[in-house]
Amino acid sequence: MPTTPATRILAFRLLVLAAGSLPAAWLAWQWCFGDLGAVPAEAVVHFSGRTGFTLLVATIAFSPAFRFTGWIGFMIARRQIGLWAFFWLVAHMLAWMGLDQYWDWPWIRREMVDLPYIRYGAAALLLLVPLALTSFRSTQKAMGYTAWHWLHRLIYVSAALGAVHLWVLTRADYLMATSFAVAVAGLAAFRILDALIGRRSR
Amino acid sequence: MSRYRYPPIPESEVTPRALFRQRRRFIKAGAALGAAALAPGLLLSPAAHAWRDGLEERLAGELPSQALAGDEAPTAFRDATTYNNFYEFGTRKSDPEVYAHRLVTDPWSVTIEGEVERPGTFALEDILAGQSLEERIYRLRCVEAWSMVIPWIGFPLADLLRRHEPTSRAKYVVFESLLDPDNLRGQRRSIIEWPYREALRMDEAMHPLTLLSVGMYGEVMPNQNGAPIRLVVPWKYGFKSIKSVVKIRLVEQQPTTSWIDQNPSEYGFYANVNPEVDHPRWSQARERRIGESGRRETLMFNGYADEVAELYAGMDLNKHF
Repeated sequence: MPTTPATRILAFRLLVLAAGSLPAAWLAWQWCFGDLGAVPAEAVVHFSGRTGFTLLVATIAFSPAFRFTGWIGFMIARRQIGLWAFFWLVAHMLAWMGLDQYWDWPWIRREMVDLPYIRYGAAALLLLVPLALTSFRSTQKAMGYTAWHWLHRLIYVSAALGAVHLWVLTRADYLMATSFAVAVAGLAAFRILDALIGRRSR
Repeated sequence: MSRYRYPPIPESEVTPRALFRQRRRFIKAGAALGAAALAPGLLLSPAAHAWRDGLEERLAGELPSQALAGDEAPTAFRDATTYNNFYEFGTRKSDPEVYAHRLVTDPWSVTIEGEVERPGTFALEDILAGQSLEERIYRLRCVEAWSMVIPWIGFPLADLLRRHEPTSRAKYVVFESLLDPDNLRGQRRSIIEWPYREALRMDEAMHPLTLLSVGMYGEVMPNQNGAPIRLVVPWKYGFKSIKSVVKIRLVEQQPTTSWIDQNPSEYGFYANVNPEVDHPRWSQARERRIGESGRRETLMFNGYADEVAELYAGMDLNKHF
């Protein structure tokens, strides 16, 4: 059992590392043994998307988790889990382009035109790019905390677009789409209320 | 963890299907005899296995076969039985294979009612008696833009309907699937209105391509594919081909269906495969053939336009989607 604050934070960071990397090991295992079903490409696209979106929601949830517990470990590991979310969502896009569409650019363009949910997903991922690029500690310092903080609120917009992406592609069974939408909406509502209450009491 | 690698078995050592089946019947008969000897008067219910034994015997023999999917090869049996939409077992493609063992198919009966001279509830073995079974290799196009090629075994729906003598008021045929939430776990959530309902216009139902199917790939219909008896309408999206049918009702007015009730703007009564009429949220111009890489162009009426286009002459297929 970790006893000192430092070892507790280290243990938590290792937990985040596991959450980001173990799904890849599981996926590789399934792929190698042909356990991904009749359409492995589709299974990889769905799995990477679900994992990435889950980690994105977890990233957002780290802030209220810090507000409620006051434990600094959440703030320290937030950048780490956010980058894992970005990694999985890029993998999601690459799996779609490569495994599903065979890098056939005319086809990919047609799918972009035909399918609104591809556009929502692309927009959601595009918004995360500046966040990933400015995630270095040095950029954070160079930008100044206020500007950096404002820029990184884009994560809420990206997650909302992600929820729309999932909602629009869903057929009949909205359990998963609803769960993600409720989680994103709840976290955004908390963030707004928290800011409003904080401003009034200041 | 390492997996045991089975030594390869030469083709010459594989038991011929007919022999294998004969052996199985022999063992079953022996078991039944044994059970009867142990518990006289407590014989297995006479209805149990009544249709299955007879059907297995017929499938072991030679059946006429028609390849109606051009030169396209049938989808691998494994893919056709592990990638299914059968929401009674859950909405994931893998759910039906995992949970379909709970479907109770023996005994099975089908109620035929409404605008027919000979209504009633009939045991499946009686429905199959006198119908000549044949194999038909058809394309299957799902509304989700994937497709397979399946060697079905069955008989024309028209042959059954004629036996029950539709009245002059019979304009549509309604089908209902089994309702059994205890065993069909997907029915415990109201994703769609249970029991699953589908329907055809009378001329579609009487069309020679429209089958009632009781088997595929030379075998009795696997549970996850709609055992023991299902509809196959190859020129319509797969959801029209209702599985595990328990009720056939002939009616005068155009009925609604489970999918129309679920989302009337996305699912219409006809649901004919049509590359030119998109689903509101995705294109129907192309399809993923399971087991192939890339995409195929979707064919008008799923490639059966020569046979069925005349049924829809003069209809606006954008309106009647």
